[in-house]
Amino acid sequence: MVALARKTLVYEWRRFLPAILAVGFAGLLQLLQAALVLGIFGSASVYITGSAADLWAGYPGTQSVNLGRPISEDVAMRLRMDPDVTNVEPFRWVDADWRGPRDTGGVSVFVSGIDPRADGMMFSHALPPALRAKLNEPGAVIVDKADLDSLGVNIGDTAAINGQRVRVVGVSSGLRALGGVNIVSSLDTARVLDIAPEDAGMMTYFVAKVRDPSKAKAIAKRLGGSDSFGPYNVWTAKEFARQSQLYWMLDTGAGAGVLFLAGIVFLVGAVITSQTLIAAVIGSIREYATLNALGVGRGALRKVIMEQAFWVGALGLICSIVIGIAMLAIARSRSVPMQLHPITAAICLALSMALAIVSGLAAMRSLRRADPASLLR
Amino acid sequence: MSASPQTSSPTTPALQARGVRKSFVSGRIQSTVLHDLWLDVHASELTLISGPSGCGKSTLLAILSGLQPADAGGVLALGHELSGLGMRELEYFRLQHTGFVFQGFNLFPALTALEQVELPLSYMGLAKGLARKRAVESLEEVGLGPRMSLRPSELSGGEKQRVAIARALAKQPELLFADEPTSALDAANGQIIIDILHRIARTHGTTVLCVSHDPRLVGHADRVLAMEDGRILSDHAPSASPSSAPLREPSA
Repeated sequence: MVALARKTLVYEWRRFLPAILAVGFAGLLQLLQAALVLGIFGSASVYITGSAADLWAGYPGTQSVNLGRPISEDVAMRLRMDPDVTNVEPFRWVDADWRGPRDTGGVSVFVSGIDPRADGMMFSHALPPALRAKLNEPGAVIVDKADLDSLGVNIGDTAAINGQRVRVVGVSSGLRALGGVNIVSSLDTARVLDIAPEDAGMMTYFVAKVRDPSKAKAIAKRLGGSDSFGPYNVWTAKEFARQSQLYWMLDTGAGAGVLFLAGIVFLVGAVITSQTLIAAVIGSIREYATLNALGVGRGALRKVIMEQAFWVGALGLICSIVIGIAMLAIARSRSVPMQLHPITAAICLALSMALAIVSGLAAMRSLRRADPASLLR
Repeated sequence: MSASPQTSSPTTPALQARGVRKSFVSGRIQSTVLHDLWLDVHASELTLISGPSGCGKSTLLAILSGLQPADAGGVLALGHELSGLGMRELEYFRLQHTGFVFQGFNLFPALTALEQVELPLSYMGLAKGLARKRAVESLEEVGLGPRMSLRPSELSGGEKQRVAIARALAKQPELLFADEPTSALDAANGQIIIDILHRIARTHGTTVLCVSHDPRLVGHADRVLAMEDGRILSDHAPSASPSSAPLREPSA
């Protein structure tokens, strides 16, 4: 079989270039947008995803991890009573105001009071044991290194949180959160920093580890069943992280914005691609008509167009993958929160291929003009 | 119906128009292009239909070749009645039995001469080796053996038309239709093209039906039909010696 579609694509590449670029840029935009959104809103749940806990117990109805309210110490008892729970750890969340040594004005911060033991669950992914140990010093805090500028501090500097003196003893990465700067301290330091009288001595969450993480869902359901220990609810880490991300995505309207933008990108890409493909079909319409006169069926001619659309899509995808990887690498090196799961990437690329196929279908319609009888006039 | 079909040749005609009528509507005016036309075309002959533009010769070619349906009447091609066939069946008939040469060469810019000729063959379901062999033979037959790896942009007009003829010829069609095949070419190239078409009729036993208003072609055809206003006015065989050519009755 003479590879008409491919040979034409190679020979007349200038004609097809706009379509390839349109598919490529549409794919790139979808990829980067998805990566940014997932990265930014993923950081809403950094408290959960950065920690090793399987279960989270908090105030019932909490929509996002940053909206927690104090719960009773008895909940920790309830968790420990469950035979499948191996470890329980408190987590104290404090909404606070930061005054740095440099002139940064007030900065809204979230203090995460955690257990600084080496085997602690909270922020175990972001804080190595040596760094955690530094939190034992009263007033010691750790921040994300990307937040140093906005806080106006360097390592070793002192600052004030809710009027109390703190000292930055170290930095890490993977602590950046959404809505305010995340500052990690020990539980003791956090208690000192918490000036709200009604919170006195109360923890915001209890996190727990279970023997078999695959059973976490069933255990969470079992534990959340009663309220004899005061109002609380238990989620799996995965659920709670998702819930927090969704809350931010919907609360900020970003979810709808993303879908809207994705739609626009798809539409613009499809218009450019289909117009280019239509122009290519029209440009060869007499040749197609001649083939039809010679008995090559319309179905076979449509296949040529669809093959062209497929190759345009494939080349476009290669463009978006190559540029996308480069952009993600740059973003990572600059601490831009970008996150891309293989499935999300596959969906974005599949959308771009769908764009090319839809454009091919549109171009196929113009084959109707390939009437061999018109060649006789 | 003015007359019954007259077959002056002893063989059965390869192509037969039986009372073909065709009219077009433009706006509110309906103009009849072909008036109940009867015609027999024979194998191994180059039959030329000539006449002024607008006389209906291209429409007749379109109908006889199965590109367009007639409004009334029938077309019998190689024993098949074309008028009842659907689009797919017509396509299949054309794929199996017909070749076309148009005024424009209609070659794909991206393909070499060899690929242009191979392309329809691959759709006929020929094996790759056989398609290649036939394509090479056809290109050699039209004298393009040494130039078969060139693209259309590297060929002259006459060479492009020869590629187009080779593309039609390689299918080994029983029916070969040519519409103004020389009108885009100069005298020398036109001469080459008409010689090739004539030779194809003779050596392959192909029924070649050529439509042209190019007077240079008249002397090379086995039979010339003069058309005007949708009717065939005269039917004669000029090439042997025009004076003694037996004048066939116009069949319409």
